[in-house]
Amino acid sequence: RYKMCIQPLSKFQGSRNFHFSIYGKKKSAKISDDISTQYPVVDHEFDALVVGAGGAGLRAAFGLSEAGFNTACITKLFPTRSHTVAAQGGINAALGNMEEDDWRWHFYDTVKGSDWLGDQDAIHYMTEQAPAAVVELENFGMPFSRTEEGKIYQRAFGGQSLKYGKGGQAHRCCCVADRTGHSLLHTLYGRSLRYDTSYFVEYFALDLLMENGECKGVIALCMEDGSIHRFRAQNTVIATGGYGRAYFSCTSAHTSTGDGNAMVTRAGLPCQDLEFVQFHPTGIYGAGCLITEGCRGEGGILINSEGERFMERYAPNAKDLASRDVVSRSMTIEIREGRGVGPDKDHVYLQLHHLPPQQLATRLPGISETAMIFAGVDVTKEPIPVLPTVHYNMGGVPTNYKGQVITHADGADKVVPGLYACGEAACASVHGANRLGANSLLDLVVFGRACALTIAEEHKPGEKLSPLKASAGEESVANLDKLRFANGSLRTSEIRLNMQKTMQAHAAVFRTGSVLKEGCDKMDAIYGTLEDLKTFDRGIVWNTDLVETLELQNLMLNAVQTIHSAEQRKESRGAHAREDFKDRVDEYDYSKPLQGQEKTPYDEHWRKHTMSYVDPKTGKVTLKYRPVIDQSLDEQDCAHVPPAIRSY
Amino acid sequence: MARHSKLQKQVLSLYRQFLRAGQDKPGFIPRIRDEFRENARIKKTDVMHIEYLYRRAQRQLEQLKDVNTKQLGSFSKPEEKS
Repeated sequence: RYKMCIQPLSKFQGSRNFHFSIYGKKKSAKISDDISTQYPVVDHEFDALVVGAGGAGLRAAFGLSEAGFNTACITKLFPTRSHTVAAQGGINAALGNMEEDDWRWHFYDTVKGSDWLGDQDAIHYMTEQAPAAVVELENFGMPFSRTEEGKIYQRAFGGQSLKYGKGGQAHRCCCVADRTGHSLLHTLYGRSLRYDTSYFVEYFALDLLMENGECKGVIALCMEDGSIHRFRAQNTVIATGGYGRAYFSCTSAHTSTGDGNAMVTRAGLPCQDLEFVQFHPTGIYGAGCLITEGCRGEGGILINSEGERFMERYAPNAKDLASRDVVSRSMTIEIREGRGVGPDKDHVYLQLHHLPPQQLATRLPGISETAMIFAGVDVTKEPIPVLPTVHYNMGGVPTNYKGQVITHADGADKVVPGLYACGEAACASVHGANRLGANSLLDLVVFGRACALTIAEEHKPGEKLSPLKASAGEESVANLDKLRFANGSLRTSEIRLNMQKTMQAHAAVFRTGSVLKEGCDKMDAIYGTLEDLKTFDRGIVWNTDLVETLELQNLMLNAVQTIHSAEQRKESRGAHAREDFKDRVDEYDYSKPLQGQEKTPYDEHWRKHTMSYVDPKTGKVTLKYRPVIDQSLDEQDCAHVPPAIRSY
Repeated sequence: MARHSKLQKQVLSLYRQFLRAGQDKPGFIPRIRDEFRENARIKKTDVMHIEYLYRRAQRQLEQLKDVNTKQLGSFSKPEEKS
């Protein structure tokens, strides 16, 4: 055991009790000489910082290094262990290898998939860049599956159509069997080694260093030796991923704890659209492991207890390849109406045994193995038990289409200088109220590159850093110290379980006003129990108890925003389905002709983004709203899609 | 007079490298001295512990030598009134 520091419990109300000094120069005799009450802080200076080393983080990091910036990448996990590695499905791009395709049809599908809550300029940017992005990955060496002619194999995926929805199912999801995310991350990692980015692996980012509304860097804890590190940089990119672990049953890794969203919240900035949590239709019943949508793309079907392909009733055109929120809701309705399978009739089956075994072996080897290990099922003979499981967070840190973090004040979007975000942590918003499958991996590479390009456009390498207060990051260290010596009565795991169960019960696929309100009250109470926390490890080296507690604080901030935003949004849109408000509430009623309709004022309709703020001391959530961007980047090249009724 | 063992010589050499590397960057030298003095208490026979600290120190030295590392400060708590 390296250092056992048993300290008396010191109550820190707030943060002003810490004193910063250059090591060795003590300002006053009152400061203790003992090495154990001091937190050494190493200061670093870079041109650009990236927090997170998943798909988006790596792409941004080496994009910046390529542009000549002195870049640091801070990550709490080794890059190839980030959750991107678990992605299975694929990347959408209108390459046109399987049939004639056009990125404008992809644009239409994505706008429709987002239930008209996505910002059409960002969607235009992403879908137009998609073919170039996939070709770039292929040039980096990503081993895509191939067709007979040697072109990149593209499979069918949910929500993808040809000719603006009128031409049938599109095949535009480029994939690597069923381990696309794994391949993508390893390819990006391999590529990143060519550049001279400094990696700070197993450094847990605690907070942003903000001064006068500008982001000047990040403060992080080195898990290996317990030292604090302050990274100063002109540009900081947040690419920390989602917060699936706020729910009891999710497909995410234990490390998906929404650290970036929480850092931004603590800096007093808003998070956008957190109530939109995607429930992936096919997570294994019990284990929660993901079975990719690609199974349904290859021909798999969902069946209920009567052996019926029930999706034909809910989505007559797209059937099992309807958008994920539609499929999740259909499955939940089937189970509620008593047609679920299993002894408790609480899940449905995904049938693959009608497909040729050779196709299963070449195109879906990973899930064959997963189904055997986690469900004990041989996919060539039996169907897999599946249930909608929390999978993705459409919401996150609000950005514009260039990747710059924005706030909304006085009716206009305002850029936060020095701060950028990309990947699942950001909300650009390309996914709006619901994400189409295989758009996330695309989002990572396109916006990771976009952040790097924007920074290269606006700044030059070697720019002088703006001055920063010597005691910047004091509150973060005080919080760390408080948690390290916490001596209440509830363990971290207990509070976390309470939060997860509450979120699962009260903010699930179908939400009701009274249940949400009860959930909000419970979550507020659980937030309060953070004061009564007890940790056991008092050391500073590899203190996983401390790191889990920091992650719990982060998850808690995300969870309260999610449930409060959901309770306030009185309509059903995309993944947010309310039993008591079953329809979408837009500025016009799009189910009827627009002629003669009066426009509903902005305050009364819901086609707007939620911007949520939290006061970290009390847990009180404040909600504001921001209009959706309806114009594309170039109306001549690609006209925007006006809202319409969404049906598959 | 007892000569230094191989491991002791390595640790001393590391100490010299640290002091040299930390010369132009404020705050490192006092901390390096404090840490080495603190860990000097480890028994010479506890080789596992010493080697672990040595490996970790090498990584920290690499970081110290890096041109982007600028200074070492510390956040300290005011002394408790006991």
